[in-house]
This record gives sequence, C-alpha cells and structure tokens, in this order.
Amino acid sequence: MKRYTRRRLVNAINLTVSCLTMVFGLIWLVWILFTLADKGLARLDWAMLSQMTPPPGETGGVLNAIVGSLLLTLAAMAIGTPVGIMAGTYLAEYGRGSRLASVIRFVNDILLSAPSIILGLFIYEVVVMQMGHFSGWAGACALALIVIPVVVRTTENMLNLVPDTLREASAALGAPQWLTITKVVYRAARAGILTGVMLAVARISGETAPLLFTSLNNQFWSTDLSHPIASLPIIIFQFAMSPYNDWQQLAWAAALLITLSVLALNIIARAAVARRGN
Amino acid sequence: MHETMADSIQQRRISVKPSGDDKPRTGGAAKVSIRELSFHYGKFKALDDITLDIPPGQVTAFIGPSGCGKSTLLRCFNRIYELYPGQRASGSILLDGENILERGQDLNLLRARIGMVFQKPTPFPMSVYDNIAFGVRLYENLSQSRMSDRVEWALRKAALWDEVKDKLRQNGQRLSGGQQQRLCIARCIAIRPEVLLLDEPTSALDPISTGYIEQLIQELKNDYTIVIVTHNMQQAARVSDNTAFLYLGRLIEYADTETMFTNPAKQQTEDYITGRYG
Repeated sequence: MKRYTRRRLVNAINLTVSCLTMVFGLIWLVWILFTLADKGLARLDWAMLSQMTPPPGETGGVLNAIVGSLLLTLAAMAIGTPVGIMAGTYLAEYGRGSRLASVIRFVNDILLSAPSIILGLFIYEVVVMQMGHFSGWAGACALALIVIPVVVRTTENMLNLVPDTLREASAALGAPQWLTITKVVYRAARAGILTGVMLAVARISGETAPLLFTSLNNQFWSTDLSHPIASLPIIIFQFAMSPYNDWQQLAWAAALLITLSVLALNIIARAAVARRGN
Repeated sequence: MHETMADSIQQRRISVKPSGDDKPRTGGAAKVSIRELSFHYGKFKALDDITLDIPPGQVTAFIGPSGCGKSTLLRCFNRIYELYPGQRASGSILLDGENILERGQDLNLLRARIGMVFQKPTPFPMSVYDNIAFGVRLYENLSQSRMSDRVEWALRKAALWDEVKDKLRQNGQRLSGGQQQRLCIARCIAIRPEVLLLDEPTSALDPISTGYIEQLIQELKNDYTIVIVTHNMQQAARVSDNTAFLYLGRLIEYADTETMFTNPAKQQTEDYITGRYG
C-alpha cells in the first residue's frame, strides 16, 4: 500500500513537472507571436503589399522586398533541393556502411550547425569578390548552402525509415536499384522528404546574416538576380534599427508577413501530402 | 484469355528449357538443382554443404526450427542476399542446368524467372493496379488495354480480382493483410516467372487468409515450380509434395512429403515432426 501511494506521488510529480516545462516553452512562443500580431497587424495592409520601400517620412510598402525574397528563396531551393535530395539518397541507399558516407555525414552535420554568417562570408569571398559586386545570385548561393545540409539530413533520415523489406520486394521483381529508389522508396518517403524541404524553406525565409554580404539591399523595384536585390529579412533589419516610426512599423508588418507565409506554406504542404497519401 | 496466357507460359517454359545433354544434370528433370551450397553471413556459416533437387511443377517445402537456414536457403535462389554486403554463397544452384551463382548472371533477368513472396506483405505505396504493372513494365512494353488484361489475369490467378476489381486505383497498402499478401503473389506471377519462392507467406496472416493462400498454392503448382518455407508443419504436410528438413544449416532429410511425415528415415526428423524440439 505504501509502495502504491509512493508510485502515485511520483507520477503526479512527473506529470506536473513535464506540464510546467511544456508551458514554459510555449509561453515564449505565444508571447512572440502575440507581440508580432499586436505590432504588425496595424500596418499589414494593401499599401504595404503593393508599394515600394519608402524614404523616411513617406508612406510606402515592401513589395520589392517581398518579390526579392520570393526570388531568392526560389533560386536557393532550386539549387539546394536537388543537391540535398541526391546527397541524402547517396547516404541512405548507395553509400550504406561505406567510409565515404560516414565522412560526408559528419561534414554535413558540421555544415548543418555552422553559423549562417560564416556561410555568407564564404559566398562573399568566392562569389561576390569574384564578380566584383553584390548580387541576388550570391544571396541565393548563400541560402542554398543553408538548404543543402537540412535537406540532406531529413532525406537520409526519411529514407532510412523505409523498411528494407520494400527494397527487397522491388529487387525480387528484378527492378534495378535506381528504379527501386525512384519508384518505390521515394514514394514511401515522400511526405517526410517534402517536410524536410519545407523545413528548409522556413529556415531560409528568415535568414538575414548570409544576405548582408551577398544580395545586400535595393530600395527600388528589381527582379534581376545579377544585381543587388531587396529581401524581407534585410528590410526588417534595416527598418527596425532605424529611428523612424513608420519604418519600424513596416518592419513589424514584414516580420508578421514572413511568419504567416511560412505557416501557410506548411499547411498547404501538409494538406497536399495528406490528400496524395489517400 | 486465361487459356492463352497459360499456353504461352507453357510454351515459354518449354522454349526456355535447354536440351540437357550439354550439361551434367544430376536428378534428371529437376527444375532447380542445389549442389554443395554453403552460405556465410560475414564469418558465420549459415548453410553447410546443401545438395537437393527441386522437381518442376511441384510444391517443395523447407521446414525446420528458427535459425536453421531455411529462409537463407530460399534467398539464394534469386540471390536477393546480394543486397547486403558480407553475405555470400558458394557451391552451385542450377536453374534448368545453368549455374545462377556464376558471376556473369544478369540478376534482373534471373529474378524475372524466379519470383519471391515475403513473410510480411510488402505492397508498394501505389495503387493496386500499379503494384502489378510496376513489375510488368520492367520487362514488357504493353499497350494500356493489354496491361489491363495482364493485371486482371494476375489478380484472378491470385484469387483477388473479385475483391479489388472496384478498387484498382486505391492504394495497395490500404488492403487487408491477407489481400495484401495475395496482391504480392499477383504482382509476382504477373511477370510470369518459372519458379515461385514463398518465404513463410502466411505467418503474418489470420487462418482464413491462410486457407485462401494454401488453396492458391495448390492451383498455382500446375503452372509454376513452388518452393515454400514454413514454420508450420501442418502447412507443409497440407500443401507440399516434397519436404526438406533443415537443422543448424544442414539438410537432415529430404523426401516426398508423405514419407517424411509418416515414415521419416532419421530419428532427428521424427523428433522434430512429432514436436519433441523446435
């Protein structure tokens, strides 16, 4: 009887502590989101979405930064996703147990945790310095360097979750390895790989540091990635640091916009995966 | 169309069969002859000097306690073990007189001739229709209507057509366990192999599904040479024409099933069959 009481007590304590830690963790998230909505909603209007970045004291929006961010993200994903998925496929399928694969895995983990500013400096050195000027392509390269390790890691993990029995079944029908991978294993891991790609989009859509030395900024409308181009994180950085009240408000609205876009993208991706899964 | 399909299988089998005069073929009309086969998982010797003949158009069962090597032996027939480094077989396995363990063998073509169904049902993450079409497309370029005919033929052959004819576009992984296993059998026979390997095909199924599959095996043996691994001695007695008893990687006794179960030559076999160990 005494043992039983003790067990119930321990259970109650554990439950309380784990609930408290969960609340502690969530408080900050809710606080951040609440502040963001509180300060950003006021300025999140049509003008903000349809006008260019203004000089201090004038009204304007962040359209050029939205378009710049979209282009940068698109270009970075176009470079990073195929490389990441193929490298992850090598690690999980072809390079199983090989020495090369474990070296790559180790290097990839380092890249995964490298501070993004270092990646920005690296691209500054090898792209910006060589080209002689800042450019959107340099920014896309820096972001792609962030995308690759994330996609490699999630792709490998998701492929590893696919049971070997499925690969055996495909091989037993006489399917060569590449067909087994592309037609059977990718299908089985589709949702997970897509989640990894979404994770990478979310990750780079808020990155500021690597863009500072690469795509820089542009106050005007531009869709040319071979020249400096505006982006939301840089605008937020620039406007939030400024002494002008209307710039600060735009920065809040832009931050809210990024958050909402990432949220929307995630919901859409999940819905798409769920529908195709059926 | 069933007749024509069966005819073409018959014809193909006859045309594939070599005359048998040019190569030594112990056991006369054996479909598969295993000669002095040994198998290693790394340093562990799992099969030791196995020699036996599998007659065509009959069901041969491998029985024995867990870990005796019966699944390993089956996995040599289509060299599926080669997916994993460190697993190797020595000796020879003659399919119609031709040694399939030789280096130059085209593994994919070999696996088209020797189909395999696994212990756990392994439907691919695609529709019922595509599960079957996947294997067929590896070898044949059929028009849509002929492909539909083939899918229907295979599903009928596997006694699954009536249950899934309205769900051909549904994901194969959403069928019940017994249906999934019959789908795997259909997928396997759709590419018209000569030998069917069944690795404990009913151990994950309920008694009713098991009954279906056992009945199916009886019907399929007219067209295929079937080798089945089973844990269940009653099953071996019910479905097979010949039975091989393996113990600790060695072939203890091999005879026609009736002799094996009524009048085994070796004490060890009798002990196992009467349930004294295993």
